[in-house]
Amino acid sequence: MNQIDLTQAEVGAALPEVEFGPISRGTLALYAGASGDHNPAHIDTDFAKKAGLPDVFAQGMLSFGVLSQVVTRWAGVDRVREIGARFASITQVHDRITCKATVTERFEADGEQRVRLALTASAQDGRETLVGDAVVAVG
Amino acid sequence: MQIERGRIRFFSQVLKESDPIHFDLDAARTAGHPDLVAPPSFFMVVEALANEELKRLGRHSAVDIVKCDFRYLLHGDERYFYRAPIYAGEEVEFATKVVDFYDKKGGAMEFVTLESTITNSRRGLLVRSQRNLLHRLPQPRT
Repeated sequence: MNQIDLTQAEVGAALPEVEFGPISRGTLALYAGASGDHNPAHIDTDFAKKAGLPDVFAQGMLSFGVLSQVVTRWAGVDRVREIGARFASITQVHDRITCKATVTERFEADGEQRVRLALTASAQDGRETLVGDAVVAVG
Repeated sequence: MQIERGRIRFFSQVLKESDPIHFDLDAARTAGHPDLVAPPSFFMVVEALANEELKRLGRHSAVDIVKCDFRYLLHGDERYFYRAPIYAGEEVEFATKVVDFYDKKGGAMEFVTLESTITNSRRGLLVRSQRNLLHRLPQPRT
């Protein structure tokens, strides 16, 4: 899994991608139950239509959870110091998302070597859904 | 509240987590952890549990205080600072502060900044979050 050696991770290096989906209504329902986010806009089509939405859409944190795996599959959860993301567009039901990460910076903080990663999640049509960054200890 | 093993396992399965430390107790222990390890976004599960607990106690959560309307709620951005893992079986405390609240477009857009922490009495701060949420309301509240 760790194709790029953590300690040698250079600026510009791309991490292995993580793919997820197509996101079914079943996945949205299971995520609602597993996460405790019972917002009906993600699981109840009648509610979504009444609110003027075309259909149910994916929970933001579902995408965030998938995006975080681009980092954890490479570095392991213990090394993750920070993950931040901006929700750029809504992830619709049936979207297939691809998450990518690139090393953008190496620096030292709190007595350890760290790298910053640029993160993106995008749907099958190229639309970016999440844009963020993460800090990982590599020393 | 207590972090349940089954909840970490279920959450990890839905997210298709590949690292067995999230769902296989032996793998977690072999990797040096006392129990199953929560994935990074498990934070929101702890928040949901905390909100349920407050509801049971008849108290208001941060989402009640800012009159969260799920029909129009959108995430702006969020950032999580990880200090130590969250383990199954342990007791944690969840706390949220409403840091900022303002509106734009004559009240049609509402913005809220929340800062939350998950702590364990013995291990201290585990995770801290900063989140911006927004409401895109069809018309300003009256």
